[in-house]
Amino acid sequence: MITREQAVASTLKDVSWADKNYLIVDDFVGVRQLLRESLRNLGARNIDQASSGGEAMNLLGRIRYDVVLCDYNLGEGKNGQQVLEEARQRNLLNPSSVWMMVSAEKSTESVMGAAEHQPDAYLIKPITEGVLLTRLNRVWHKKQLFRPIDQAYGEKDYLRAARLCDEEIARGLENERANVHRIDLLRMKARLMEKSGQPVKAREAYDEVLAEREYQWARAGLAKIRMANGELEQARQLFQGVIAENRYYIDAYDQLALAYQQMGQLDEACSVLERAARLSPNSVPRQRHFGQVCLKLGNVGMAEKAFRKCIAIGEYSYVKTADAYLGLARVCGMKNDPKEALLLLGHVQREFPTDDVRLRAKITEGMVYHETGDYRRARKAGDELEEMLTVSPQRPDTATCLEMATLLFAVGVKDAPVELLCYVIRNNHDSLLLQDEVQQIFDKARMSEEGALYIRASKKEAADMMNQGVLLWKTGKLDEAIAWMRNARAALPNNLRILFNAAQILITAMQQNGYQIMLADEAIEVLLHVDRLQPGQQRFAQLMEQLALLAPDGSLSPPAEPAGANE
Amino acid sequence: MDDKPHAHDLFVFLASTAHDMKNSISVVSGTLERLLADAAPGAPLHDSAAYPQMAQMLYQTRRLNDNLMQLLALYKEVGTPAYPLDIALADVAQLGAQVAASNRILLEAREIAFDIDAAPGLCWHLDEDLVIGVVNHAINNATRYTRDRIRLSMMAVDGMLEICVEDNGDGFPPALLAAGAVAGRARAVDFGANSAGLGLFFATEVAKMHTHRGAAGTVRLENGGPLNGGRFILRLP
Repeated sequence: MITREQAVASTLKDVSWADKNYLIVDDFVGVRQLLRESLRNLGARNIDQASSGGEAMNLLGRIRYDVVLCDYNLGEGKNGQQVLEEARQRNLLNPSSVWMMVSAEKSTESVMGAAEHQPDAYLIKPITEGVLLTRLNRVWHKKQLFRPIDQAYGEKDYLRAARLCDEEIARGLENERANVHRIDLLRMKARLMEKSGQPVKAREAYDEVLAEREYQWARAGLAKIRMANGELEQARQLFQGVIAENRYYIDAYDQLALAYQQMGQLDEACSVLERAARLSPNSVPRQRHFGQVCLKLGNVGMAEKAFRKCIAIGEYSYVKTADAYLGLARVCGMKNDPKEALLLLGHVQREFPTDDVRLRAKITEGMVYHETGDYRRARKAGDELEEMLTVSPQRPDTATCLEMATLLFAVGVKDAPVELLCYVIRNNHDSLLLQDEVQQIFDKARMSEEGALYIRASKKEAADMMNQGVLLWKTGKLDEAIAWMRNARAALPNNLRILFNAAQILITAMQQNGYQIMLADEAIEVLLHVDRLQPGQQRFAQLMEQLALLAPDGSLSPPAEPAGANE
Repeated sequence: MDDKPHAHDLFVFLASTAHDMKNSISVVSGTLERLLADAAPGAPLHDSAAYPQMAQMLYQTRRLNDNLMQLLALYKEVGTPAYPLDIALADVAQLGAQVAASNRILLEAREIAFDIDAAPGLCWHLDEDLVIGVVNHAINNATRYTRDRIRLSMMAVDGMLEICVEDNGDGFPPALLAAGAVAGRARAVDFGANSAGLGLFFATEVAKMHTHRGAAGTVRLENGGPLNGGRFILRLP
């Protein structure tokens, strides 16, 4: 029989648990003492304790922990999942840190699907010393195996990460011993392929998993690919099949609602989100989505409930959103209560003191006044918006621009909305869908013919700018091409084709004249901006890979943002 | 059940009460494990009178924990799509190591030899927490009936994973064997007739939740085998 000392010694050989920094988070003092004793028996010396989420955040802000044992249920305030999310988003954890979520019973969170930040393991109480050690070792080894993949992922070199997955799967097959991580590796690979804009390869990976066993996440993955490809009815059926198999797989509800929205069936989308919100109410993005769909449907009561819930969750969560306040202000406008709306708009600007939120609050203010029939104040808000636009050259995202243009036309402002719509077209000169949308806004403002001319001129302006840069590049004038594209980017900061070409030209220059850190950084900055604007582009993945190959050590640093196998 | 607001409130209340009880059980069983380790033969604080009594307390605490866990899971409607089944690929030998880790102190204290026979490199798709719960419960039961040896074997047999907990005691009484024979059939277990009913029912539900290509898991009780005692057999597709 193996004694405790032998058991500890034999496992300590592979991992030195004694030197690590530990944090125990539990609201029950007895459990904290118990876990501390267990860790001490593993040789641990540096053990901190917290009895609440807030206390844990303070400690996490000061000390880099190697291992965190965190109870899910922490009483008042943040729960364990919210502590984990905030710690990851604020970058308070090393990629190698182990996060173990402890709970009294099998949690539904572990099977929800798309919880963005998954812990490394879930432990169910009671936890004996032996179990703790076995699980720590297992997580550690898995993290070791995934480390190179996670690193490539963090650097957004998705194609290299996918290759590493393939290599690891092949190594497992060679050893004859079945590789216990094979399914996880295939899941990772599928996600990397999605991020690289290669849905066919992602589908292959999901199919390989499904050939072996029915996994809901793989089925849902296939459905998402179908949806992205516009096969909405097939996607809808697949998502519903997943829910029928496992009604706790919440991600499928969120996706099903999106499918219904794209099919124009807002009522269905709303009822799906209502069910999802009942099963798993504490998600900011879900309540926001729910509220926005209700708002579109004109269901003021449900929208209000969703936005209020969204704000309430946000109190303890790092993932809060200005959208909930803005949506709620719209709700107040619809209920003919502009006073309450204005209070909310004041509050949101204090809570989120950014230019973007200031602008969007002003747009909402105009809409609320317009809706409640106070046309004088609506016009005043419009004038103030116009003023804000002249002061700052920065423009918000496309959806906000369109919203703002619509409002400005409605309250009688003329020049500013035209400028905004031209800006949108210049930055999306090859999107026919957006051109239709912009044309409709012009139509509503009774500017159909003028609008069509504006659209045509803006398209040409963008195309000319891009073509000139490409011409310089193709004729070998690389330095001039780079300078030209820098100007083009300044003029059209969100035009995907210009951004891609700018990065391509920088990379070509380095391929011909050798690696230069300044040019490489510039290219990375451009590409990361593209990925934020529109994730999942094949050209993004290819250019990131070319960049990594140019770098002297074959990888890009520093990592852009934390990411991991368990994200 | 949680589609109705009232049922949902009740469930939240149950869950938070269970959370509290689990904390208490954690502290009791953790403390007992530590006391047992300190009082073990050969340890400086060895206490021959208290040692077996503490072992009995640990055994009872574990029963309490298992029963609580099973009741909770049943409230969540095990076996219906409502239960959060979480299937993943698991290394069978690692699973065995974890079972051994969670039972080691108790088995040592009761001077029961424990053997594991796991096919090396064998991996299986299963809900690890549920399966470990079932196996731990079977082992805890066996500690009461065995003479001095328990064996856990895990191997692939005819395309199924066969997990077998066997002991060298007198074997299951006929009534329990009969219960084991019907456990696979709907809800035929008579909870009133024997205390093992809940555990067996739960194990059967867990087995049935594991399905693959039309096949579902099963639970069987029998006497005999290499140790010539009771055998609890869980088979998963």
